[in-house]
Amino acid sequence: MQVGIGLSSARDHLQATKEAVVQARANLRKDKIDFVIVFTTPEFAHPLILKTITNLVGPIPILGCSGLAVISNQGGLKDGLGIILVRLSEEIHFNVAVIKEISVKSALHAGEELGEKLLLGLRGTPRNLSLIFSDGLIPNHAGLLNGLQEKLGLSFPLVGACASDNLFFKKKKTYIYFNQEILSDAACGLIWTGKVNFALGIRHGWKPLGKPRLVTRSEGNIIYEIDHQPAVKIYEEYLARDVANLKKDLKTISILYPLGIPISAEEEYLLRNIISIQEDGSLVFQGNIPEGCSVRMMIGTKESCLQATQQAAEEVKMRLGSRESKFVLVFDSVSRYMLLGRQAEQEIQIIKNNLGKDIPFLGIYTYGEQAPLKAISYLGRTYFHNQTITLVGIGG
Amino acid sequence: MSSSSYLLYLVGIMSTATVILLAMVLLSKIQELKRIKLTLESLKKSLDEMDEQAKLIMRTDIELNKTQENLDKKITALYSLQRLARLISTTLQEEEIFRRIDLSHLEDIGFEKALGFLWRDKENKFSLSLAVGYAENETKSIESFLDTHQEFFLDLIKSEKTFSSLSLASSRIPKEDIMRIFKVNSFVIAGLLPKEGSKGFLFVGTERTDTLLTEGDEELITILSNQLGQALENARLFEKTWNAQQDLEKKVEERTHELTLALEEVKKISKRKTDFISSVSHELRTPLTSIKGYASILLAEKLGPLQPEIRERLEKINRHSDELVHMVNDLLDISRIESGKVAMKQEDQNLKKIVQDVLDLLSVQLKEKNIELSVDIPPDAYAVFVDLNQIVRVFINLIGNAIKFTPYQGKISILAHKIERRVQVDITDTGCGIPKEAQELIFEEFYRVDNPVNQQVKGAGLGLALVKHIIEAHGGKIWVKSSPGMGATFSFTLPRTEENYGDKNIGR
Repeated sequence: MQVGIGLSSARDHLQATKEAVVQARANLRKDKIDFVIVFTTPEFAHPLILKTITNLVGPIPILGCSGLAVISNQGGLKDGLGIILVRLSEEIHFNVAVIKEISVKSALHAGEELGEKLLLGLRGTPRNLSLIFSDGLIPNHAGLLNGLQEKLGLSFPLVGACASDNLFFKKKKTYIYFNQEILSDAACGLIWTGKVNFALGIRHGWKPLGKPRLVTRSEGNIIYEIDHQPAVKIYEEYLARDVANLKKDLKTISILYPLGIPISAEEEYLLRNIISIQEDGSLVFQGNIPEGCSVRMMIGTKESCLQATQQAAEEVKMRLGSRESKFVLVFDSVSRYMLLGRQAEQEIQIIKNNLGKDIPFLGIYTYGEQAPLKAISYLGRTYFHNQTITLVGIGG
Repeated sequence: MSSSSYLLYLVGIMSTATVILLAMVLLSKIQELKRIKLTLESLKKSLDEMDEQAKLIMRTDIELNKTQENLDKKITALYSLQRLARLISTTLQEEEIFRRIDLSHLEDIGFEKALGFLWRDKENKFSLSLAVGYAENETKSIESFLDTHQEFFLDLIKSEKTFSSLSLASSRIPKEDIMRIFKVNSFVIAGLLPKEGSKGFLFVGTERTDTLLTEGDEELITILSNQLGQALENARLFEKTWNAQQDLEKKVEERTHELTLALEEVKKISKRKTDFISSVSHELRTPLTSIKGYASILLAEKLGPLQPEIRERLEKINRHSDELVHMVNDLLDISRIESGKVAMKQEDQNLKKIVQDVLDLLSVQLKEKNIELSVDIPPDAYAVFVDLNQIVRVFINLIGNAIKFTPYQGKISILAHKIERRVQVDITDTGCGIPKEAQELIFEEFYRVDNPVNQQVKGAGLGLALVKHIIEAHGGKIWVKSSPGMGATFSFTLPRTEENYGDKNIGR
């Protein structure tokens, strides 16, 4: 396997795409390219980019998504795009698929359909890893994940990124890229079979605080009651604010103090960010929270956040081992970007320093990450995460 | 007692013992449970206490984070402002100043939209100079909004204050209107006040709802608008200076052109005059020669003896013809020199000798008037590089004039001295002098100063004109210094012989 990575922040979209492709090409020894992964900032979500890539590298599959900024060894690119050209070795096969209009179909069905499409023509071969990109604003990512797991298997390793945009703006829209299409309300994926080695490092760095609480009534991604009280009460109590005041600073509160679900045998809790507070005092989260589970209030600091990044990078590097060709995809939560503020660049620096100069990496800021826990044993089930830095090392 | 009663007794004892034992165990268990319950209660209590502490930690943490966030925002904004200030102060073009304000700077200051408007007196409206984060149709509708609310914005500028969605409480335009038209959720407006010239305002805004404006933002934008105003003022002054210089250059060019044309015209006229004089003189010379010839034949009495009256008349004819020939020759010489037809045959000559020869020629007149003569030509002024015949004419004319105007027993001095590569000759008389207003004119053809001497002595007024032409043809200059009644000094310069065979060879 060979990869070539290219970047550009030229103002002109066409120019930028050309620059990035030429750069990526320079790193490849062979002309034949199997597929392209592209990450762009929201301003660069333009069909011309996909068309230009095809013009330059031929009609091969393109996958990717938009994000607040593109992450590379040159830091965070606030305006631009990054491209990975991938050339697989002979014994590796792959398939790509897309699913549109998720809101019409229901997330679960959409997930099943995507899983079905990904498996087309690959049944009977040992499948290895699937990479999923989805619109970061679809309401039920857990449903989509469940649908996929229904078809691919509960412990099949899925790694995914939820597209993001410039979160400061009102008019929200995130995009995924599939071949020549720029799509919202959609998800696309890629599945590998054959000798692909992958390594995961997933961390957030948030620590539990206060006593465990019991989710006494919940449904999907909405918690109605905690300890038989309206769910919002827990935040009112801990922060000594009324609902109006909580709503005013909801974005900050959601990032700084998510709820954590303990998972047996896992070091870190599964985090859940609040999306909104409803009239009846229920809380809407970005991922699902099962009824009857215990939750904790979580707290994170810049230091703990950066420490988690370091651990994730060390894990990936260790698991990738001494494989000759490899690269790392970085899915970094937008929440971390917000929390770190001026130190966001430092996080990328930590990734760079820990991976070392031999391992190229490219990534995007996300509105959620999907990754299995205990990935090393291949038994871990994939969960939907918030606030993590997810590093996917791929080698072979 | 039967064995059965013994057994019963035994059972009784054992039961009692068991009951006692059980009671003891139960008692200890109850005690242990009590202890556990107590521990549990104390644990629960500490957990609750810890939960309370957790709440305190979280409340402190959120405050800390907010402060940190604000601080971060301010630091980033200040950095960006500094960068921006440096950028806009390094250009002197109005459009370029605005062009340098781009999205990345604005985002660092905490905004993503900006507009700059300058007031145009001529069109009596605001014109758009900067638009970041707006599409063309959006700026169009904002411009028409400004057209209908000109007074409001002009007053804003005039007040020299900065306004924002925070501080603009009550005004003629509700801030909600501004937010709607400018498509923002918060905004700051600051006047641009270049000291003179066009005024305007800077608008920055954001669609973000999560961060609230602070007074710090107002201050920041005020600083930015001041910087902008300063840069605009610099650009305006530069342009003014530049334009003025351009105007000046253009004017100089125009005048030069006009002068060149005038000079051409003068040259043309002068040439025509020279040509005319030259042809007329030629035409005159032929009949004059005949007249003179016939007069001579008659005077020689080759055609018979002459009566004294006739002879007298004939001699007059002869004399006047001579004068006329002389005049015509002078005229011809002037026009030839003027037109460059006569080249000066410059050679190494001895000034002292030239002067001496001329004085010899004029000795009769000098003696007649008993004129005291002084000549002072130092050896280093001997060597001149001149056309001998022409320079002799110069001296004859100038010394002749001096004699003519110097009264009986007057004084004439001839001085020469070396000035670098030239020799200056001064011929001074003690005559009646030349009035100031005539001093320039005497070198022109046919000009005669109105004085008693000229009324008696005839002349065509060509002598000095010829002298001037000869001197100038030698690359020299001639001028006169005089005041009426105090005599006159005619000075002129002549080229000196090159140093290498200068004074030694020629000197006497």
